[in-house]
Amino acid sequence: MARYIIKRLVYAVLTLFVLITLVFFMMRMLPGDPFLGEKAISPTALANMNAKYGLDKPVFIQYLMYMGNCLTGDLGMSITYNRPVMEIVSESFLVSADLGTRALIFAVIAGILLGAIAAIKRGTVWDSLSMFIAMIGVSVPSFILGAVLQYFLGLQLRKVFGVNIFPIQGWGTFKHTLLPAFALGLGSLATVSRLMRTSMLDVLSSDYIKTARSKGLSQRQILWRHALRNAVMPVVTIMGPTVASVLTGTFVIESIFNIPGLGKYFVTSIKDLDYTMIGGTVVFYGALLIVCTLVVDLLYGLIDPRVKLED
Amino acid sequence: MEHIDKSRFAHVGESAHDREAIARPSLTFTQDAMRRLSKNKVAIVCVVLIVLLSLMSAFAPMFSPFDYREQHYGHTNAPMFSVCDDESSEGYGHMHLFGTDTLGRDLYTRIWMGGRVSLIIAVTTAIVDLIVGCIYGGISGYFGGTLDIIMMRLLEIINGIPYLIIVILLMMVLEPGMMTIIIAYSTVGWIPMARLVRGQVVALKQQEYIAAAEAMGASPARIIAKHLLPNTLSVVIVRVTLAIPNAIFSEAYLSYIGLGIPLPKCSWGSLAQLGIQNFRMYPWQLLIPAICISLTMLAFNMFGDGLRDAFDPKLRR
Amino acid sequence: MAERVLTIEGLRVSFDTYAGEVQAVRGVTLHVDEGEVLAIVGESGCGKSVTAQTIMKLNPMPPARIVDGSINLAGHDIVHASDKEMQKIRGNEVAMIFQDPMTCMNPTTQVGKQIVESIKLHRHLSSAEAKAEAIRCLEQVRIPNPEERAKQYPHEFSGGMRQRAMIAMALSCNPKLLIADEPTTALDVTIQAQIMELLAELKDKINTAIILITHDLGVVAGIADRVAVMYAGKVVETGTTDEIFYEHKHPYTEALLRSLPSTDQGKHEPLMSIPGTPPDLLAPPKGCGFAARCRHCMQICKEEQPPEFELNAGHKASCWLLHPDCPSAEERGAK
Repeated sequence: MARYIIKRLVYAVLTLFVLITLVFFMMRMLPGDPFLGEKAISPTALANMNAKYGLDKPVFIQYLMYMGNCLTGDLGMSITYNRPVMEIVSESFLVSADLGTRALIFAVIAGILLGAIAAIKRGTVWDSLSMFIAMIGVSVPSFILGAVLQYFLGLQLRKVFGVNIFPIQGWGTFKHTLLPAFALGLGSLATVSRLMRTSMLDVLSSDYIKTARSKGLSQRQILWRHALRNAVMPVVTIMGPTVASVLTGTFVIESIFNIPGLGKYFVTSIKDLDYTMIGGTVVFYGALLIVCTLVVDLLYGLIDPRVKLED
Repeated sequence: MEHIDKSRFAHVGESAHDREAIARPSLTFTQDAMRRLSKNKVAIVCVVLIVLLSLMSAFAPMFSPFDYREQHYGHTNAPMFSVCDDESSEGYGHMHLFGTDTLGRDLYTRIWMGGRVSLIIAVTTAIVDLIVGCIYGGISGYFGGTLDIIMMRLLEIINGIPYLIIVILLMMVLEPGMMTIIIAYSTVGWIPMARLVRGQVVALKQQEYIAAAEAMGASPARIIAKHLLPNTLSVVIVRVTLAIPNAIFSEAYLSYIGLGIPLPKCSWGSLAQLGIQNFRMYPWQLLIPAICISLTMLAFNMFGDGLRDAFDPKLRR
Repeated sequence: MAERVLTIEGLRVSFDTYAGEVQAVRGVTLHVDEGEVLAIVGESGCGKSVTAQTIMKLNPMPPARIVDGSINLAGHDIVHASDKEMQKIRGNEVAMIFQDPMTCMNPTTQVGKQIVESIKLHRHLSSAEAKAEAIRCLEQVRIPNPEERAKQYPHEFSGGMRQRAMIAMALSCNPKLLIADEPTTALDVTIQAQIMELLAELKDKINTAIILITHDLGVVAGIADRVAVMYAGKVVETGTTDEIFYEHKHPYTEALLRSLPSTDQGKHEPLMSIPGTPPDLLAPPKGCGFAARCRHCMQICKEEQPPEFELNAGHKASCWLLHPDCPSAEERGAK
């Protein structure tokens, strides 16, 4: 178990370094000078920037300084907003985290349930229904889904009922979270439920389920005590990519629903060519994802006894 | 006990023919898979859909009276089925089947032009995925040892960064365009394929029938060609089919962020992005490209599922 | 006089597949008495596992179907029993151990807990008592350090130990009948012997009847009291072990015994096998199932299925050669 943890930690750190390196070199390849922008700068300011970012030093030193800055939380100054990137991040990220967590919980729990039901009631209408929902989630990109939901459940319902049942913009109340979280989560729900269904079908046809039946357990007991627990394992392994997908999904969902999260800033910074903002956000998101994946991996190591005892 | 006539006890002995008779004819693996696939109605419908969409994308713009760049300032945001009233245009008197966009361009022509771009991007990236992934995974899996360890560690590290983020970074650096999207996606898109192929090769290498082939004196080339490759092929084909919707999704996503195909060329993703801006008032401008995107992704996904079921020997009944 | 634990009469089980109806079991009649070991032998696909699983109704009921027949287990009518009734019977009055112990135990639950689950289901014991009982069961099957072992997971056990643990689990509620479906096929020979010894010992201690399903006649000779030989979904011969080995009457039994390699065979004598394959049960032959491969096959064998002939109390065989009207070999024209 200890070896497993150490291995995962080392990979996480290495990946982080690769990411920061990538961002650094990308930014250097961009046209224009990201650190100076178009504004005229006084000599003292210039001297300050040189000291901070080593703009007058060779590339390798700049790289090390950038690495050092990133690891201590200094992600540069946003050109558009003229504020430290980290400040913008810490303000807006909470909103994104809120949205993302809701979507994730929705996707995982509903996905597991849907997949399990589809497997247990295989071949019946429940199976087809679950898989139909999954198919929609897999084929309709989240932002298109968001726009469509905005139109039908937001505007049209408002026309019919005169009241705002599902708000289509902004953030603040529980109602505001419904449509965006749903649109964001449906794609992941689809993947989780399809995987869960396959896994459950595998488990249900396995020999130890036969043994459980031969001991006289009822179907419900078999499902809860033996089938579900073992079937959920593969789902845990895809939690990493699921979190990544929800994360990248927040960028576009926040734009569509006008939610003041980090994703929206990120998308606008791409349009504005605010390179420091882009780079800084990428490093932040990348680091966040690496941490999440690490946590998921460690969690899996705890749940699966076969890994626990690898020592 | 009833009496039975002695003649019925005439000796017959073993019948060599009957004793070896097997009720069902044996099929090769591919034959069996193809037979199962052809019985899968959903998969057939998906193939038909894909072919239809491809044919429309290839040929529809050629037969349309409108050019995809042609703008009709007097007839912007026209609804579906409206008739062109611009005398200077070739399409005078013809119907705009899907209406026009904010600049008066015929949406029908643009949709199918967009289809060309989206489908070409999707298929090209899938092929690059296939080739690079197979080579990388094949080498890593077949040779094993330190080479394998290094190659796989490298992959794990790169894989830790979400690929859309890498693609975004690349797109910022390179000039926007179809080639760029293909390159950007291809830089990291092959990683899942490589892992899959490597996993397959490693598992197959250990199978007893490989040892049996070696014991019978088969050369490594023959082993790879006749035993390893065909058995990985089925998994690889399924993966390629499922990689295409990913590519279409990525293209749409990038377009929405603003990193897609530059105007006036269009792709389904860029059309969707334009459509979203006008969605409240002219919903079809979003809905039509959205349907095209979704149908294509759906068709490839379901076809990929059908392929996977057809190739799974455990499902053979 | 020992009590009769199991009576099967005229059992017919079919599977409805997309290719048609597969008649897996085509009229099987068997019985097992208290404390005796009945071995069911036959080739793969002859229907022995299906018969055994039908006793506990473990086959998924679509696509499996009990077409006809009756099964009486310790007074319970199995064929007409409801799901709830079956749940009370399984594990309690009848238990089963399977071929591959690795896949037969839940890989993510401790072994001890899996045994406790059985005990708590059918016996009214508290948690602590059940735990102690589970450890006692492990001890009974000669697993060393049972307290420690109970806390371990299946993959930490060796193959032979896993099978012992399965046996412990099966016997934890003192069932009247234990069905062992090829329990030693997946183990190597020395472990096989240990497991069979253990079964023999336990049988005497707990007085459980055992149905042993196997294709290995050597194992049969060691432990079985009676043997039923199955072919193509039917029982072709039953009798005591001695009768089957030394006084067999059915050509298939003869062929099976002949195909056993023996140490008195000369080095250069070819190994005997039975040429051909069993008939396809999608379209079973209207005559005797073994006709195509039988060197004594007669005209009537291909036209009609032979009835069961009783040779003495307990020894039965289904072969037209045993019909009183059947002429001698020369008269038939046989070589």
